[in-house]
Amino acid sequence: MTVFKILLRIPWHLLFLAGILVLVGSLALYSASQGSWQPWAGRHAVRAIVGMALVVCIAFIHFDFIKRMSYVFLAAAILVLLAVMVIGTGQGVSRWISIGGVNFQPSEPAKLAVILALARYFSSQPHERMRSFMWYLPAFAIIAVPFAMIVKQPDLGTALMLLFGGLVVVFSAGLPWRYVFGSLAAVLAAVPLLWLQLKAYQKARVMTFLNPESDVLGAGYQITQSKIALGSGGFFGKGFLMGSQSQLNYLPEKQTDFVFTMIGEEFGFAGNIFILLIYLLLTISILRISFRVNSRFAQLTCIGIGMMVFFYMFVNVAMVTGLLPVVGAPLPLISYGGTSMLTVFIGFGIVASAIVHDRRQS
Amino acid sequence: MFRAKTKDLRRTMSRRGLLLAGGSALLTGLLGTRLFQLQVAQNNRYQRLSDRNQFDVRIVAPTRGRLFDRKMRLLAGNAESFELYITPLYVDDLKQTLAALGQIVELTKRDIEAVLVAARKGPSFRDIIVRDDLSQRELARLAVRSPLFGGVSFGKSLRRIYPQGSLACHITGYVSPVTAREIERNQSLEKTPYLGTGKVGVEFAHEDSLRGLPGRERIEVNAKGQPIRVLRDIDAMSGKDLQLSIDIGVQLQAAEILRRGQLEPVELGSMSVQRALAKNNDLQAHIALGDDLVLRDAKDRLVPPESGAVVVMDIDSGEVISLVSAPMFDPNLFTGTLLTRDWRRLNSHPRTPLLNRATSGQYAPGSTFKMVVGLAAIEAGVISKNTQFNCSGDMELGNATFHCWRKGGHGMMNIISALEQSCDVFIYEVALKTGIRKIKDMAHRLGLGDVTGIGLPGEKQGIIPSHEWKLANQGRVWTPGETVVSSIGQGYVLATPLQLAVMTARLANGKQVTPRLVKSVGDAAPDFAPLDIDPYALAIIREGMFKVMNGGLGTARNYDLDKSLGGMAGKTGTVQVKRITKAQREEGIVNNIDRPWAERDHALFVAYAPVKRPRYAISVVVEHGGSGSSTAAPVARDILTKLMQKQG
Repeated sequence: MTVFKILLRIPWHLLFLAGILVLVGSLALYSASQGSWQPWAGRHAVRAIVGMALVVCIAFIHFDFIKRMSYVFLAAAILVLLAVMVIGTGQGVSRWISIGGVNFQPSEPAKLAVILALARYFSSQPHERMRSFMWYLPAFAIIAVPFAMIVKQPDLGTALMLLFGGLVVVFSAGLPWRYVFGSLAAVLAAVPLLWLQLKAYQKARVMTFLNPESDVLGAGYQITQSKIALGSGGFFGKGFLMGSQSQLNYLPEKQTDFVFTMIGEEFGFAGNIFILLIYLLLTISILRISFRVNSRFAQLTCIGIGMMVFFYMFVNVAMVTGLLPVVGAPLPLISYGGTSMLTVFIGFGIVASAIVHDRRQS
Repeated sequence: MFRAKTKDLRRTMSRRGLLLAGGSALLTGLLGTRLFQLQVAQNNRYQRLSDRNQFDVRIVAPTRGRLFDRKMRLLAGNAESFELYITPLYVDDLKQTLAALGQIVELTKRDIEAVLVAARKGPSFRDIIVRDDLSQRELARLAVRSPLFGGVSFGKSLRRIYPQGSLACHITGYVSPVTAREIERNQSLEKTPYLGTGKVGVEFAHEDSLRGLPGRERIEVNAKGQPIRVLRDIDAMSGKDLQLSIDIGVQLQAAEILRRGQLEPVELGSMSVQRALAKNNDLQAHIALGDDLVLRDAKDRLVPPESGAVVVMDIDSGEVISLVSAPMFDPNLFTGTLLTRDWRRLNSHPRTPLLNRATSGQYAPGSTFKMVVGLAAIEAGVISKNTQFNCSGDMELGNATFHCWRKGGHGMMNIISALEQSCDVFIYEVALKTGIRKIKDMAHRLGLGDVTGIGLPGEKQGIIPSHEWKLANQGRVWTPGETVVSSIGQGYVLATPLQLAVMTARLANGKQVTPRLVKSVGDAAPDFAPLDIDPYALAIIREGMFKVMNGGLGTARNYDLDKSLGGMAGKTGTVQVKRITKAQREEGIVNNIDRPWAERDHALFVAYAPVKRPRYAISVVVEHGGSGSSTAAPVARDILTKLMQKQG
């Protein structure tokens, strides 16, 4: 295939949509630092450009290579997660690995590794076996091992997203409905057990989520302030750089997990809905690609990555609007944070590679 | 087979992919709905919460209007007072800091508890008042040591002061901290709990205009509570100053003269006086209020100053120039935190210093009521100037005997000589012929039995009895004997000293003089309507009052105002507080001074001056002072002398 053909087949609309989100993110981060490119907005934009270049690069990698390497990626991810447990950094938690001064959060790319590994597993097996439950057990193991390791860090938000991303792949692979409902029931039954596993602050977060007003200045502070900021934004917002909640620092973590809130305060309901629609468009675009690709591996990979992007958005927005507990989840491409952005762009690269090198397209 | 299966699988996967796409759209819709709920439906609520976050609204206290006397001398003003604040945000251990502060300034347990409660309730960046009204010594000590305390600061505020001390206490009244009940009635007071409200006197009556309107400033604070900037929303509007008709110089003279009476002041320093004081509870209560005037009576006993009331009025304008009620109290005691000790002293004082006797003290007017009866009788045609009755010393009515104050009787009397000598029997006869109804009407026309409307809270209306009044209040029928008793201003009849001054003013100029405490704007005196009483009848009564001072047998002939000042016309009144028994009467009336203070007669005197062109009306009540002529009349004379000499 010629370079030109590859370039032609790259799904540029994904990059366009991502570019919009990055632009919004840069503006929000510019406002978060009271109208300055330092320290976040400038770096965010630069990273995004690097990320987009990465998408194009990955598109040139042959998709079969990615398929061959998928178990290797999983093994590598698990190894790095193990390393985090030993040498990880973070405030009371071990989530990051520091490589040459750059902090890196291995749990993010681990999501991609799980998706790829599952897609590989399901595509490599003949369909007849797919009726037996035993046949799904290795798939669950692929999810469970990194999940447990990330929970242990502890980073419940990322772990849950990895879990959902993985389950989506299993579901799309054709898990019979009886198992779908069966495992739903099992998850519900496991909730009390999971509760016992939670750390005190995680329990506090859940309790606060159930009743945020109970502790307005304590654990409920973040969500209460977030709702005030969003709600006071109104339909068109208070204006760029005019959000009092954000500018006066009532809003915590406004450059990372609560960036959506800040946009809501300054650009209102209209701004928020715009972002939601862009994300939905991104998700559906990737799902559409999944219908067009030929191999099962490519199809499952695209579904997994598309839904991963959606879950990112959903968990974050549900969290800042008080629909989910504050679990700590960034809004990819908008929140400041290199790893989640990198993960999303690598995901887009894989999707690009899937469609570029698809047999049916040529 | 295999291909078909693969196709099936492909369909399944596509179906599930579609399902996921649909699910995503649905979940996005859910988020959109949630955002709509927060940002559009509940926008107002969150907007408010955001404002409350962003701004700490602070009420700016208005400056209370000042009170001046008629010569613009300050009666009530505002002095700077220093307050001690604490900001919990900057304090590590609030309890410990408060305990340490307690070593430097006076702090009660309750003060400390209040601060702790406020710190728990409010945001940590808001200042809390720890103490107000710091003394100079406390300030000096704090200035040295406060750098050691983080989060402790000073602030200035205004505190009400009454520079004249107790002198005008019953007129100005006082301002004291807002009570819970006041807040219940007026919610807006809650916003400025540290601003006191007028409780009595002019401070109460003119509360609304004196108070002013509080301003508001918003302090923009960030999440750490650091103030970013101050926005002045509404400027505070100061209360309006008020000029009263009182002349504080005359007030001072009147108070001195009334309190001293005809008695000698004693030096408090000597041992014998101190010993005598130790035994006298009445005196101790008096001295505990901070008054060091102690007098020696005719029997060489140590007594507190006289209590009673004086009202001096400008007849033409109705302006009250002096309004004294004794004993007095220091209104400055109330402006800060009133100590329980002071409150107890004021309340348990046997002579009730908090009572404004001039407007709320009700006394039997005694013989000062005789002008009312005389006027009513002349108007009714019962008597004329020369109608005579014989006073034999008593009068029989049914099986009761009514005595004249003079045992042997006055002989033949007309209305002028009856007023001059204050003959009771003449008045009895006239009153019976006139009837209580006409007497009552005349009393009301002269200003008795109704509140004068001077504008002081708690003013009493007195009692002018009648048939209807007795039926309503006692459920019994009026008897002629009660007309007799009422005619000399005893029995049920009650009047305030202010009413008596108003009555005298009306007699003097024949107009419906109405008293006022607020200086009239401009010089135009109010035009009072005429009383609609025959001027000839009024002239007869005035002649009687002139004779009281000038007649050979006038009851106050020894106490007339100097002729160079124009002399005065007046009337004495001596009011029995305790009934004289028949036995006492037969063995000769017990001398007033030999009875316990509380059983002695009240001494009353009313007058106007100068006689030719009446300008001032005065009423004097000396509680348990003895006789109206020897005790009350000289008080009136001395006050008018000082006043008129000053006027030149």
